[in-house]
Amino acid sequence: MAISKTEIEKLARLARLSFSDEELERFTAEFDEIIEFANTINQSIEGGTEQIRSVGARMVSFDELRPDEVAPSLPNEKILSNVEGYNGFFSLERSRK
Amino acid sequence: MRAGISELAGRLRNREISSVELTRAYIDAIEKLNPTLNAYVHLTFDTALEAAEQADRMLAEGDAPVLCGIPMALKDNICTDGLPTTCCSKILTGFKPYYDATVWEKLKRQGAVLLGKTNMDEFAMGSTSETSFYGAPLNPRNPEYVTGGSSGGSAAAVCANLAVYSLGSDTGGSIRQPASFCGVVGLKPTYGAVSRYGLIAYGSSLDQIGPLTSSVRDAAIVFDAIKGVDKRDQTSVDFDYGPSLVESLDRDIAGMRIGVAEEFFDGINPEIEASIGKAIALLEKNGARIENIRIPALKIALPVYYIIACAEASSNLGRYDGIRYGYRTPSYTSIDEMIVKTRSEGFGDEVKRRIMLGTYVLSSGYYDAYYKKACLIREEIIREFDAVFEKCDVLVAPTAPNTAFPLNYKGASPVEIYLSDICTVPVNIAGVPAISVPCGEDSRGLPIGMQIIGRKFDEATVLQAAHFYEQAAGKVIGDYKGGAAI
Repeated sequence: MAISKTEIEKLARLARLSFSDEELERFTAEFDEIIEFANTINQSIEGGTEQIRSVGARMVSFDELRPDEVAPSLPNEKILSNVEGYNGFFSLERSRK
Repeated sequence: MRAGISELAGRLRNREISSVELTRAYIDAIEKLNPTLNAYVHLTFDTALEAAEQADRMLAEGDAPVLCGIPMALKDNICTDGLPTTCCSKILTGFKPYYDATVWEKLKRQGAVLLGKTNMDEFAMGSTSETSFYGAPLNPRNPEYVTGGSSGGSAAAVCANLAVYSLGSDTGGSIRQPASFCGVVGLKPTYGAVSRYGLIAYGSSLDQIGPLTSSVRDAAIVFDAIKGVDKRDQTSVDFDYGPSLVESLDRDIAGMRIGVAEEFFDGINPEIEASIGKAIALLEKNGARIENIRIPALKIALPVYYIIACAEASSNLGRYDGIRYGYRTPSYTSIDEMIVKTRSEGFGDEVKRRIMLGTYVLSSGYYDAYYKKACLIREEIIREFDAVFEKCDVLVAPTAPNTAFPLNYKGASPVEIYLSDICTVPVNIAGVPAISVPCGEDSRGLPIGMQIIGRKFDEATVLQAAHFYEQAAGKVIGDYKGGAAI
């Protein structure tokens, strides 16, 4: 096994996810196969990745950004339309007594 | 032959039918077939009928755009102000955006009539649409088979004539592959040709919105209507396509240089290979020049795609925390616990797998070996595509290595499912446009799709070649019997 359950647990913490013991078993096994698949980028190809020279060619250039334009914000009641807000704010249960 | 956009636009203009009547015909068909096909997950009939009335007024005034009054569908990851948009995920249960995606804003202004939001793989992560929180849509051509994915509902809706056209999104093949499985046309435009504002993000450097239609002409019409620069999407490009892409359709293909790369045919089902071979022969017979070319880096495009897409997804999906919209876990004792429980209960398995892979390839100690390396190989793929397009005008390839899978196909591991994206992902990595057009059926009667790939911002040549093939080949797949009686 290439990846341990401890490593999966560490990744889950980083990803803000949690798994039950049964899920952890299954995910670890599946993840092994997925990592093995990801490792195939290390195979050599004809013509070769050695031709790769730089990370210069990006899909999009962010060198020229348009000037910032101040536009009106969405109204507070629209932003809160998907949750039960409290006095115009997002709200959660009290977590510290 | 079912009516396309141009024909319906003509009938709306000479008052043979009104938009309200047309819309009612589609609503009737959806009410009849959708309980089985599950192509739509949110229906918007009330707003559709209001929009149809408004469209009839626009038509009566004269000078209405071609899409005015035509009933259509949007994939459930395209934001619609006040109407459900859930990415077919539990975590976005009940979410109603407070703004329109640019594509929908544009279509709405042109009098489009939205029938509903279509089924998809959760957060567009999948190749069968079976990861949808609402259950899989069924392939209208054979309900024992999947529609493909992730825009499976959009493809099924067009195939079964439950919408004249639909929009989907394509990160690694999610428009073209379901189009191929359902026997419709699907266009993935050049990265930057269509604004992504309001498209719920998966892999931001790969995502692109495009049309699914019943003909190449319709794809050109819809692409014309949605393309263009948008200041709300910094990656959109101000490219001058001229007055209309539809005008480029009727040119002939004599002298067109068509590249065929053997890497696209590795491990392809022989029936598909034969079908594409026949299509290539037809193009050659009509004056196209076939160039056999090589794109060696294609062999590793698939892991490159999954590494980049999942890395971007792990960051993009960080926003789902249960605080501002969507699902929130019912019980918790701290904010941290609320976020972790909400995400763990709200995301499905495939989404979790991809968030975990993305987190892994970006994490300390693995970043250089995976993410950085994938970005470097991406450049090599782009370079190889650039070189090929110096010799060729378009490339022809299969859309998928297989036809539709049976529903609930057991025994396929996540990686086996990933392998089915082999022919489509290189196009997203390179940011070039590609279309899938039906080119035959396998022995079970399931459609086969041919992919035509072009240079960046050269949708005109891609559409021209696809339209020529469509007209020259004639009837290559059976008609779907059913759908709107129009």
